[in-house]
Amino acid sequence: MRFDNCTERKKIVVKNPAKKYYYIFRVSFMENLQYPLNCILGFLSYFIMIFLFFQLWNYIYGDASKVIAGYTRTQMIWYVIFTEIMWFGTRNATLTGGMSRDIKSGTVAYAMNKPYRYPLYILSKYFGEIGFRFLLYFLMGSIMGVVMLGNIPAFRFTTVVWVLPVILSGLLVNSLIRICISLLAFWVEDSLPFQWIYDKLLIVIGIMFPVEVFPKILQPAIRLSPIYAVTYGPAKLLVDFSFEVYRQVLLVQLGYLFTFSVLLLLGYRKGVKKLNVNGG
Amino acid sequence: MLTEVKSEIQLLLLTVRYNIMREMTNKAAFTTNVLFMMLNNSTFIIQWAVLFHLKKEIGGYGMKEIILLWALAASSYGFAHIFFHKAFSLSDLITEGKLDAFLVQPKSVLLSVISSSTSPPAMGDLLYGFVLIFFTGITPLKFMLFTLFTITGGLLYSAFAVITGSISFWITRGDLIAMNLTNTMVNFSTYPDGIFKGLIKVLVYTLIPIGFYIYLPVSILLHLNLIYLGLVFLVTVIIINIAFAVFYKGLKRYSSGNLMSARV
Amino acid sequence: MEAITAEELQKTFKVKQKKKGLKASLATFVKTEYKEVEAVKGISFQVKEGEVLAFIGPNGAGKSTTIKMLTGILYPDGGRMSVLGLSPTRDRKKLAYEIGTVFGQKEQLWTHLTPYDNFMFFGKVYDLGEKETVSRIEEMAESFELGSFINTPVRNLSLGQRIRCEITASLIHRPKILFLDEPTIGLDPVVKENIREFIKKLNRQYNTTIFLTSHDVGDIEKLCKRMIIINNGKVVMDDAMDNLKYNYLNRKQVEVRLKEDAEIKLKEGVQLIKNKGLERRFEVDTKKCQVNELLSLIDGDNIMDVNISNIPLEKIITEIYKR
Repeated sequence: MRFDNCTERKKIVVKNPAKKYYYIFRVSFMENLQYPLNCILGFLSYFIMIFLFFQLWNYIYGDASKVIAGYTRTQMIWYVIFTEIMWFGTRNATLTGGMSRDIKSGTVAYAMNKPYRYPLYILSKYFGEIGFRFLLYFLMGSIMGVVMLGNIPAFRFTTVVWVLPVILSGLLVNSLIRICISLLAFWVEDSLPFQWIYDKLLIVIGIMFPVEVFPKILQPAIRLSPIYAVTYGPAKLLVDFSFEVYRQVLLVQLGYLFTFSVLLLLGYRKGVKKLNVNGG
Repeated sequence: MLTEVKSEIQLLLLTVRYNIMREMTNKAAFTTNVLFMMLNNSTFIIQWAVLFHLKKEIGGYGMKEIILLWALAASSYGFAHIFFHKAFSLSDLITEGKLDAFLVQPKSVLLSVISSSTSPPAMGDLLYGFVLIFFTGITPLKFMLFTLFTITGGLLYSAFAVITGSISFWITRGDLIAMNLTNTMVNFSTYPDGIFKGLIKVLVYTLIPIGFYIYLPVSILLHLNLIYLGLVFLVTVIIINIAFAVFYKGLKRYSSGNLMSARV
Repeated sequence: MEAITAEELQKTFKVKQKKKGLKASLATFVKTEYKEVEAVKGISFQVKEGEVLAFIGPNGAGKSTTIKMLTGILYPDGGRMSVLGLSPTRDRKKLAYEIGTVFGQKEQLWTHLTPYDNFMFFGKVYDLGEKETVSRIEEMAESFELGSFINTPVRNLSLGQRIRCEITASLIHRPKILFLDEPTIGLDPVVKENIREFIKKLNRQYNTTIFLTSHDVGDIEKLCKRMIIINNGKVVMDDAMDNLKYNYLNRKQVEVRLKEDAEIKLKEGVQLIKNKGLERRFEVDTKKCQVNELLSLIDGDNIMDVNISNIPLEKIITEIYKR
């Protein structure tokens, strides 16, 4: 058989390119399934933190029926349970130290030769790594909460279904932020201090207290911060669901997803250009 | 015996001094680390400002007492990590067989190991603690006591780290247990013990001796009590002795080569 | 007195079998599977004071395990040993004052300090008085020609200078035995020679027993009078270098460069190893065939160049490793 070059050239059917990222995610997930012990023993730290807050809030509330900033004692502690899940369940060096190292050492350059985009690759890998751990923390954290506090008032399982996309986009926003910070490694000696600043902000503004606890003057600013989208949003909705908050949170999340995606693309492109110019 | 102890301590101080000098060779990185840690620590003020906004006193402490608590927590943590930084990664040293180099030397293996490196950010912690106490109405006596408790607290915390780290002589992944326990000590140390009730309160004065590390010293700083003072000394000495005993027992096991992996 | 005596040393390791997977991880909690690895299966030897000994063997032969036992790092499971009359197991600390160790690339020196400050530091480690330390330093600085850089920070020294200082630092307390592990690895030939001279001088001047481990045959050949080869946890050869060479001396290498290509008939005891262009290399078993007999097989007029040498030590050692 002979093919006419111009007209009957066999076309290579390109499968859905996004599939490869799913495979990266899956391989990463499976690999991390092999080491469950690390996960389980790390849970001890989580338990201790929650326990600490349990004692603290118990003391502050004194009387269990009090309401502070719109939260009952049970709600407040459940809030911390969920925000700490976001904190512990997502802690991983891949997006921070790992990526920074890749950029500093020029390993990123090797990714240019591969048929995938480095940021998407690293994102898929990361989710694979934290996937099992996050689920585990979610489960264990919830069990712990029920044991310590009993059920969340006015909680139904359907709430979880509604909040799931919020949780996922919260995780995504957090990941995008961390990646963007790591991109600084293209220009700065060490991007880790900036990660630590974000860590601190997350802890102080997003994890320990819900927005309502802060002085009224600061609240609008906090509601607009990405931390609102990452920790407050999901936790608040699980603890005290309401459609108006739901809409608000989703809007802010979408806004940040867009903003940080754009930042990521621009930053990465610029960074890679710099790499090519300077040779890493 | 006494001259032996004296020479061990002299060597220890010299080693730490050289460790610090080594870290200072990169002045920029060193200063950044120190300043950053001080800044990092200051965020606690926000947290407690919010909490006191909700309730005037927590665990019997007001803002002034919390600052004192934080100052001592920071300074003793800093002291521990400046002098005995490697005590906190003892587990890794054990499992990776890195104690060998210290076994061929004539000096105390434990002291040589735990003082083999120092932590620049910890100097930020130490400095921070000492800067902070000036905001709590300091008197010469209080300053002396504060320095004293920085040392006892640092020693106690390090000894605790040695004990938990030594678990790796016997159990795999002892490093996670060690890390969790030492982290617990640090986390709890920045919250007043007044918020703890019942079993936890007992725990804090026994298995995880944060009570003698921080709480009792703080209460002594607030209201001088000689019995408590003696108690702090006593417990610190006891825990240090336990640390040595546990470590050297584990070292025997290490030298018999029966750890998780053959150090061929 | 014998510096080192080792009798039927034995060491067996229990290696935990690690398995991957969730089920397997939980299973190991219940019952751990061990595999026994016999690293040292009965090693015996004696070393006299002042000897320079090469202790070699292929990787995994049990070398480092044996050295660890001799220095007190590891406890043997069987056998007896005595180093300078002390038991490394029981008197580890006491022994530490009498031995020096330079293990591989592990740097003991403070890089931001000068060699002088380093030596003072190690003097303190070994409980030497200040005056004594200073005089030791002066003595060794002169013997080993360290004067020109003794006050330069270690990180600014060349590799050769650094290693000389590392070894000197391990000698500050006048140890009777020096355990050296790969002292010349990664060094260029000039520096290697330098270090070897240094070690020779050390042995000559202070009668220090040198216990050397090295994969560098040059080190062994130029420094050591005696060689112990271990393999599979046992001693496979323990002999003076002279004896070794003598025993293997019945084999010689003869390299011949011809003027023209020619066929050379081989006799019994002669093996052709290399045949490239006009070059021929033969290995001759002199018990069966003398060198001159071999040369007579070649037309004398056709010989451009000839080179007769002993079997290289490396080859001897490799053959012993393979046994």
